Amino acid sequence: MAEEITLLESLRRRGVSRRGFLKFCTATASLMALPPALIPRVAAALEQAKRPSVIWLSFQECTGCTESLTRSHAPTVESLIFDHISLDYHHTLQAAAGDAAEHAREEAMKQHHGKYILVVDGSIPLAENGNYSTIAGISNLEMLKECAEGAAAIVSVGTCAAYGGLPMAKPNPTGAVGVSEIIKDKPIVNVPGCPPIPTVITGVLAHFLVFGSLPELDHLGRPKVFFGQNIHDRCYRRPFYERGQFAETFDDEGARKGWCLYKLGCKGPITYNACATNKWNEGTSWPVESGHGCIGCSEPGFWDFGGLYKALSVPTGNIGSTAVAAAALGVAAGAGLAAMNRSKKQAAAKAHETMTVTDLNKET
Amino acid sequence: MSGASIEKGIEFIKEQIDASTASYFSSCVHCGLCAEACLFFNQTQDPRYIPINKVEPMRRIWEQEYTLWGRLKSALGLTQPVSEQDFADWEELVYDGCSLCGRCSLVCPVGNDISGMIRKIREGFAAAGHAPEGLIGATTRAIEIGSPMGVRLPAVKAQIGHVEDSIDLEIPLDKAGAEYMVLLSSMEIMNFPEYMEAVARIMHQAGKSWTISSKAFEATNSGIQIGVSDLARELVQRVVDAAEELGVKTVISPECGHAYTAIRWEGPNLIGRSYKFKVRHILEVLDEFRSQGLLKTQGLEEARLTYHDPCQIARKGGIVEHPRRLLDMVAKNFVEMPDAGAMNWCCSGGGGVSANERAEGLKLTAFKQKKAQLDAVKVDTLVTACANCRITLEEGLEHYEMDLPVVGLTEMIAEHLVDTSPETPAKENAQ
Repeated sequence: MAEEITLLESLRRRGVSRRGFLKFCTATASLMALPPALIPRVAAALEQAKRPSVIWLSFQECTGCTESLTRSHAPTVESLIFDHISLDYHHTLQAAAGDAAEHAREEAMKQHHGKYILVVDGSIPLAENGNYSTIAGISNLEMLKECAEGAAAIVSVGTCAAYGGLPMAKPNPTGAVGVSEIIKDKPIVNVPGCPPIPTVITGVLAHFLVFGSLPELDHLGRPKVFFGQNIHDRCYRRPFYERGQFAETFDDEGARKGWCLYKLGCKGPITYNACATNKWNEGTSWPVESGHGCIGCSEPGFWDFGGLYKALSVPTGNIGSTAVAAAALGVAAGAGLAAMNRSKKQAAAKAHETMTVTDLNKET
Repeated sequence: MSGASIEKGIEFIKEQIDASTASYFSSCVHCGLCAEACLFFNQTQDPRYIPINKVEPMRRIWEQEYTLWGRLKSALGLTQPVSEQDFADWEELVYDGCSLCGRCSLVCPVGNDISGMIRKIREGFAAAGHAPEGLIGATTRAIEIGSPMGVRLPAVKAQIGHVEDSIDLEIPLDKAGAEYMVLLSSMEIMNFPEYMEAVARIMHQAGKSWTISSKAFEATNSGIQIGVSDLARELVQRVVDAAEELGVKTVISPECGHAYTAIRWEGPNLIGRSYKFKVRHILEVLDEFRSQGLLKTQGLEEARLTYHDPCQIARKGGIVEHPRRLLDMVAKNFVEMPDAGAMNWCCSGGGGVSANERAEGLKLTAFKQKKAQLDAVKVDTLVTACANCRITLEEGLEHYEMDLPVVGLTEMIAEHLVDTSPETPAKENAQ
């Protein structure tokens, strides 16, 4: 049950000092890419913030998103936030089961009507009246509609909730769709990714706590602050792409040298996410850094891109031999010009008459 | 063809254009940074003196002769060959308005050696008969008499006699097997015999054997200044022959800027082989003596003094720290001028400008750059290590009515030598 205490109070009860709290605010502000001048504002807002009630619904999903969140390193911004929101209902995490669990959900919905945040992971099947996935005898579609009605905002965590994800991949037998296909009258934030970076999930919640509003979104409903940048543009292997140095297989010389994975199907150029900048596992690494191309997991329909290992586009014809021929032609032309120039210079040198002092004066 | 002609000048420039020159012209981005690095442009604000503009005739020849576009443009009549008029117009820029100080080369963001290109274009101008009278005269005297100032051996011997009398030390002439062969600039022989005296006393204290060659006492190389490699080669060859004949280990270039550039950097390229001896500037030798404890001085100059870095020695020769270490031994109140060291401003008389009477007015205008530098530090004494800088500075200071003595560094060091001049006869000692 959500208690009516402020976040600051809750932290104090847990023995978090004022200093620790301000450090937390600084981390939160930098996470949300806010200027340092806003840190006091973040602190003031969080001090006053009531622990918001959060209802977390899991539909057609693999629990990877929740895993991502819970496997995040501790103590961190995300763990602190989750300690200080009132997670009133979460299938995987709650101790209660059966009727008691459903009762907790109904209670929270009633008590915080219009104020709670609804987090959804997993897609919603529409085929066969939604019978492909039910919880406590209630179809996902029904439960979503019911819970969305009193929510202040909805956060679709993971690509399945955001855009349909894996369940929606062709031929999509369950008729799976994302949340925004069903709910049209509530603010929805998409936090896609398979799974999303934990700090991105909590960053959105922190923004809501601090500003009482949702962050600015892109045309696909994703927070710009985390999804505003292209993986390819921020990739540390980008210089190899620019130089045309590509790994051709996963065990060739290029792969060992860390060259660009474009030809191995990297979807970095069409993917917007924070992996290349925020990284994973406490900033340890990210897919491209560990040797695999980006699979574009935060983009709609990524399962149907046409193969994880198929390059985005490959020039027709044999670019290699064409380039070699063109280069050879260029070298030959250059050598020809150089030879002409050399002979011209040599002729000048040959014609050189040794200068004497009398030559310094004109018309002698 | 014999004698100077435009055709010959153009052929000579074509011969000078090499891969570096081509890449310099291709990579110039017209940023204009060389303009403000040049004292002639700075003091006249005349855009003709922008360094890269001074080699424009060479750029046109390169474009017309060596590039596809240029040939196309020539064929279509879009560009005209370099004419007699062009040579006439640029002569003043190439010789009077450039002291080959190399400051422009240093600031160029794409690394173009503009000063080096001016050295090259002078080859063509000299061959075209467009070198200044003053430089033609000096070069003729250097080749025919052995010294650009017309100093002959008897005059040198007479000076040696005077110096020997005043310091009671021998000045060895043509001594085979000596460790050092000392070159002198004619300016030092005639105007600053103190230098010869200083070298004698320092060598004596250091216990080193040295000699002057009667066949090659002259260090200056007018061929380099006028830009005629054939003549420069002849002058370098004289020094090389004399040094190798005497079997010396090291040839010491005197306090003269371009002499050092000529013998140390251009020389081996001109004669097409390396020397059998080392070449050092006198300041390098003094600094080596200092580090070996062979240079013992006493007393400190009280005067507030500063050091003028000669371009060829500091910027092109890399001898920047040596004079400062030496000054530390003898000066109490040493101050640096703004831009001192590798970025120092030229005295305005280098690269043959001081030998070119026609350039007198322009030289004095350009001297205002040095004046501003000196005004900023307000010193009592100006020290330098180039006889040509020294004479140019003295003339400039006199023209602008600045009362400031100019002293050679070697001479100043010698003033402070611990007196080892012995009861034992020095002349025998020096043997």
